[in-house]
Amino acid sequence: MIQFSAVTKRYPGREALHDVSCEIGSGELVAVTGHSGAGKTTLLKLAAGLERATAGSVVIHGQNLAALGETALAVLRRRIGFVFQDHKLLFDRNAFENVALPLRVAGFTGSETARRVRASLDKVGLLEREKAMPVALSGGEQQRLCIARAIVNRPSILIADEPTGNLDSDYAGAIVDLFVSFNQVGVTVLISSHDERSLDRVGGRRIALTKGALAA
Amino acid sequence: MRTWLTLHGQAAAAALGRIAAQPFATLSAVLVIAIALALPMLAAVVLKGVSSAAAGLDTDPHVNVYLALDATEDEAKKLEPRLRSHADAASVRFVSREAALQELKSTTHLAELLASLERNPLPHAFTVRVRTTEPARIEALRGEWQKLPKVDQVVADFEWSERLGRWVRFGDRALAAVGLFLALAVVFIVGHLIRLQVLTRREEIEVSQLVGATAADVRRPFLYHGIFQGLLAGLAAVALAAAVSAWLQYELRALTSTYTTEFKVFFIDWAGLIAIGLGAALLGWIGAWVSVGRELRQFAKGR
Repeated sequence: MIQFSAVTKRYPGREALHDVSCEIGSGELVAVTGHSGAGKTTLLKLAAGLERATAGSVVIHGQNLAALGETALAVLRRRIGFVFQDHKLLFDRNAFENVALPLRVAGFTGSETARRVRASLDKVGLLEREKAMPVALSGGEQQRLCIARAIVNRPSILIADEPTGNLDSDYAGAIVDLFVSFNQVGVTVLISSHDERSLDRVGGRRIALTKGALAA
Repeated sequence: MRTWLTLHGQAAAAALGRIAAQPFATLSAVLVIAIALALPMLAAVVLKGVSSAAAGLDTDPHVNVYLALDATEDEAKKLEPRLRSHADAASVRFVSREAALQELKSTTHLAELLASLERNPLPHAFTVRVRTTEPARIEALRGEWQKLPKVDQVVADFEWSERLGRWVRFGDRALAAVGLFLALAVVFIVGHLIRLQVLTRREEIEVSQLVGATAADVRRPFLYHGIFQGLLAGLAAVALAAAVSAWLQYELRALTSTYTTEFKVFFIDWAGLIAIGLGAALLGWIGAWVSVGRELRQFAKGR
């Protein structure tokens, strides 16, 4: 489902990933581990088509990203849900509108949008808060709102960057359970964390990164 | 197809929403653009008035040969072949004193005055089309014909009308240049206003792109915004120009009724209105396109 072949990603002045090859199969749940700065976020962004590799190839859904134009890449992104470390919520609109954004981008209209948005909010337990503005939500609620937005398009791939980062352990456990439940209904899940213990409940495979390369 | 319509409908609705959400900013923007559009429109209206007046004037090079008042028609007829045989004369038309009086009565507002005269004050005359506009040759003609018997006056008075025609053509060109500059100014004004919109929506744009918005998706509402702004400004400009021209017309009518040629200030028809509206919308679209494209490239660089 996602294939990395000898992928290198350079930013001006530093190399974030070096010669990484790995594969994530359909329906798998994979955890990416490593210290901060090991290249976890870069790996996830490349796997979601949010960025392009400097060298090597990334293939998602059988499509080589290097061969895709900007428009095709944007359209591909609609089939992948991404939970951002910094949430990237829009603070000028309520919870409902934040979750509806990917649907509006994809051209969905009124009733279908509302149905899907409420289904997503229900899954993360925020159905009662659809009118709330993001500032009125707690950190954990903002995290769940971001997850609701990531799943509203019913993606076959769900990627989460440090979803348990700033949460206390009970809350983190509930979030991890949520991802496990998505995986159980067939969604391919890729999740990153610098804290191995928070991933104890997660079964599945691990991809360990050290200084931008796969750990031996 | 339905998705396409949905996307455009949403973008247009979003643009209208943004316009409605900032009525004061929209109004001032629309007025600035409208003034930039109304100026060349007014100039065009005035110029059209002048050029239609000038078109009614005889601008072909010709010389009028007026005979003495006591010259008879027979004496005049004897002159005709001598004028006709001149190398520079293209054609000669005899205007009898009676015909001249009739013409004057019918083309001017002097009928009453003329009727009150006891006798016809006009002489027999010839209108000679000449083959040259060179002042020296015209002068030579005048001198030569002046010496013919019973000739009172030889007048070459087409020069001023020719000069007027030149001025009108000059005005046309100047107007085209000024119009072009002001159209460019409209593009920049719209571009600047849309740029501010893009900057205030930077986060929304960024997140939209992260969840799969293409460049076209991001651009679309801004393009509609530019189009609507241009359209509103075009209509406002027409209203502005119409008001000013109506105000001018009142004075001009009083002034021009004494002249033989009506100096008309007229205004645009429906086709012109639609053309100006569409033209302004197009300028708005271009301005929005240029500025959104530029800002998106800046965003991409900063990422």
